[in-house]
Amino acid sequence: MQDRYAYYPGCLASLSQKELDSSTRAVCAKLGVELVELESMTCCGAGDIHEAKPDYYLHLNARILGQAEALGIPTILTICNVCTLNLRQANKKLKQDSGELERVNRNLAEVGAATYSGEVEVRHLLWEVSEGDGYERFKEIAVRSLEGLRVAPFYGCQILRPSKLLGFENPDSPQSLERLIEACGAEAIDYEAKVKCCGFPIVLAREDVALGMAVQPLAQARDAGADVIVTPCPLCHLSLDAWQQKAEKHAGRPLNVPILHLAQLLGAAAGIREDELKFKRHVVRLSSEVQDKLLRPQGAPVAGD
Amino acid sequence: MEVTLKIRRSPDGASHTTETYTVEVPETATLLDALDAVKDKRDGTLAYRKSCRMAVCGSCGMRMDGGAVLACKTAMKPLVEAGHVPTISPMGNLPVIKDLVVDMEPFWAKIRAVKPFLQTEAHPAKEHLVEAQVQQANIGKEALCIMCGCCVSECNSMESDPDFLGPAALAKAQRFVGDQREDDVARRSRLKDLNGAHGIWDCTRCYFCNQRCPKGVDPRDAIAKLGAQTFRFGSGSEFGAKTNMFAPVGTVVEPGVAHAQVFVDSTRRGGFLDETQLVPKTIGPLAAALDVPFALRLARAGKVPNPLHKHKAKNNDEVKRLWKLLEAQAREQQGLGTNHPSLIDSHD
Repeated sequence: MQDRYAYYPGCLASLSQKELDSSTRAVCAKLGVELVELESMTCCGAGDIHEAKPDYYLHLNARILGQAEALGIPTILTICNVCTLNLRQANKKLKQDSGELERVNRNLAEVGAATYSGEVEVRHLLWEVSEGDGYERFKEIAVRSLEGLRVAPFYGCQILRPSKLLGFENPDSPQSLERLIEACGAEAIDYEAKVKCCGFPIVLAREDVALGMAVQPLAQARDAGADVIVTPCPLCHLSLDAWQQKAEKHAGRPLNVPILHLAQLLGAAAGIREDELKFKRHVVRLSSEVQDKLLRPQGAPVAGD
Repeated sequence: MEVTLKIRRSPDGASHTTETYTVEVPETATLLDALDAVKDKRDGTLAYRKSCRMAVCGSCGMRMDGGAVLACKTAMKPLVEAGHVPTISPMGNLPVIKDLVVDMEPFWAKIRAVKPFLQTEAHPAKEHLVEAQVQQANIGKEALCIMCGCCVSECNSMESDPDFLGPAALAKAQRFVGDQREDDVARRSRLKDLNGAHGIWDCTRCYFCNQRCPKGVDPRDAIAKLGAQTFRFGSGSEFGAKTNMFAPVGTVVEPGVAHAQVFVDSTRRGGFLDETQLVPKTIGPLAAALDVPFALRLARAGKVPNPLHKHKAKNNDEVKRLWKLLEAQAREQQGLGTNHPSLIDSHD
């Protein structure tokens, strides 16, 4: 983990998922990590612009990468799976194809934007804190044990696949979230759908198809006895949280599983206050029992002590 | 070396058991070699498909530990060395006939549905059609498909919508839509069909297809190319109107197209996704207004942005100018003809 990152929260954490942004900032402050704003950042284009207007997508992402470079910061920190894939995909193309890099830079220069020389890396928060120095730093700040909390990890797609663009861990049996859940003192629940799709990209255009996907992790996590699901992606979060009541109707069964952002789980273990973690900004509210486990006063005895 | 396999056995495709077999195989053995040894030495009733043994025919698609593989392309030695006993089961999203054999008919029906052949009748140069080498980049990966079904097996959208055309058929469609010998009338007709129900906008971008494909076809990238061509050639209601907001009565609206259009429009206007526009423009203002309980749940959690306070990126004039510049360049390229090499899509 580095001491300084160019911070790219993306659209959702800047808009409807503000609790992810505030939790990330609070956790990074505890980790001793400085987050430097990319002042002129835009949307990465998500899968939509990548699909519909691939050249516009490439330029949008090159412009973001160029802004980090202009700050003299070699690594962009992301907190969303889709942003991670988009930025890494564009980055790989620009690094590998000097002709494309030259063409894109010509266009960026023509409109007065910062150009890009191809020297920036894009890393998700999950990767930075789940191994090496970042993991050691996290264990040091994880002063409040979440013992007794049963957490179902949900990875989401675009932090695992395609592995030739992401490649942090085995996409079929990832362990990074489990490692962090255990470092928080909580118990990681295993279930089949943890690497599958939440359906979010098509939840507006094809709601029924998307709900059929969202039901799988929700039902499996609940059946496995999870208190909460934790995800590194704000889109997965929105799908599993905001659409959960519709998923219940679709499945014809109760689900009622609160969904946490990764930074909220880390923040709870680091003793960060509720007003920064903002659990109340979730559609599926935490039960008082789960809230007690997450926000237990530092050093307080845990159940069974 | 000694290999142990757990194999999902199903005599009739309905009930099933898991049986464990241990066989002696050479160190170079593939999963297919191991299955051959089981069938030869342990149980002759084990059913699976095979033919070429060299990752060309596409017959031996099956799941190992839940993920689709070609049995003939999967080496056993690393698993044996790791002391791992893999579980072998039939591919997903297709009905099981017996043991590891699935019914491929639903797969072939979808391939047939995308008309897997060139249509050249209206091409101005139909007497002398040549595929330029540079143009091969547009369909080169798609042409590698051996139709094994590994991508279909893992497709998350198809698990939810069995009628979704799916990754193999859509990659096959791109192989012809992107071929410069295809005439424009046929290309537009294909794109119109592919923009309908169970078409390209059913894809949830889970990337399982790219991950599993044993030949590097990258079907998700092929689907993205079809989306790009929809935006390049589509106008007005031809492939579904580009917004659901003020669409004239009777207009066919493809919500997937409308959804993507909101992203394009909102980034060039303000830099960020305009969340307040996304729902009404994708599903229509009436449907959005009728879904009051959903909106209230979001509002209660503070997740409905104030439409009067748009979140705007600093220096977004750069993005506006960029958009105009790229659109002008695209128009110039399009003037060179539908099949000019500069129009090759790359979603890698």
